[in-house]
Amino acid sequence: MNWNLNTEHYYVRFAHEEDIPNIYALLGSNEVVKNHPKNPMVVEAQAMDEARRMVMQFEAKEAAFWLVEEKSTGKVVARLSFQKFNWVSASAQLRVDVFSDHKTQSVLSELIYAVATLAYEDLSLHRIEWLLLESDHSLVDLAKALGFNHDGQLLSFLEFEGSWIDYQVFSLLKTDTAWQQAIKNHGLGKS
Amino acid sequence: MKFVANVDFNGGQLRPLDQSDVDTIVKLYQKQTLAGQSTTASTEHAERMITLSVQMAATQRGLMWAMEVDGQMLGMLSLYDWQPTSLKTLMRLDVLPEITQLQQVEALRAGMDYLLKKYHLRNFSFHCLPTGDEAVINVIEQVGFTQQAYLRDFRRTSQTEFSDILVFNQILTTVSETPHEGESA
Repeated sequence: MNWNLNTEHYYVRFAHEEDIPNIYALLGSNEVVKNHPKNPMVVEAQAMDEARRMVMQFEAKEAAFWLVEEKSTGKVVARLSFQKFNWVSASAQLRVDVFSDHKTQSVLSELIYAVATLAYEDLSLHRIEWLLLESDHSLVDLAKALGFNHDGQLLSFLEFEGSWIDYQVFSLLKTDTAWQQAIKNHGLGKS
Repeated sequence: MKFVANVDFNGGQLRPLDQSDVDTIVKLYQKQTLAGQSTTASTEHAERMITLSVQMAATQRGLMWAMEVDGQMLGMLSLYDWQPTSLKTLMRLDVLPEITQLQQVEALRAGMDYLLKKYHLRNFSFHCLPTGDEAVINVIEQVGFTQQAYLRDFRRTSQTEFSDILVFNQILTTVSETPHEGESA
């Protein structure tokens, strides 16, 4: 099975040793991580640790991480991941770390369509879940535009800097009309 | 060493499971709606559950209480996915028809009060089926739980079938926040 994906504008690929600076640049950016919520990385050693964890979680079949390399510039502009693979319930949680200039519907529909195809077709998953902060308006709107259903909220899911964080739960099922339409149209969110 | 405490509630007590509970556990777990359950519960499963209940409590992964009324086990109140760092847990309530709704409400309140005081747990949730769990929903709503999410096809029920799950939550910050009879959350 080939985990490295190739979309029209991006290489959606696994990280390698030379990607430490790319991971650091991405996750050291407050604009990228603030809506997870998370503090940005402050030293490159954190990116090395993150890269190691990405490999370990993939080997344990708990998660899969892709860096998104823009074909035209060679720049890593995002990281996509499926976390909390649940092989019994055939589900996983989507997570998107992306620079704000690429946080657009056209970019993310291309990327999410690629990884969702792998999830549904190759990994036989049934449900992709996306946990978002209510305040992350751009991704909330985008999730809806791509056909994700708002399932509700998970209260006090985690504590961050002294505050309890609620997550909004969005889901896309393999059987959803939005996904079936995406297969026909070779893209998510296309009418 | 005892990892599961006895907790009194109005009309009965929550207590650790023991070997004498095997037959009741088998009765409770005849429900075919439980996740991953492909066959009806057996004595062997129940015995294993009692062993697991001790291990879960010892490692703070979960906890299982027998709900005892007048010396008889009439149900179980259980914790799964106990996350001590996030101060949260997922609960289950499994009962026999003999226990009253009021006794279930009292038992759940007493259990949550204990968990709040002893372990500072504050975020309690239940996963319920849209159909078949009406009795449990009735009880937890009386205690103050409210539905927060409807997770589509969240639980696999067979190779090709899935069930939606209703998520109910109650957040407590102090003991006094536990609503009393007739009060809303």
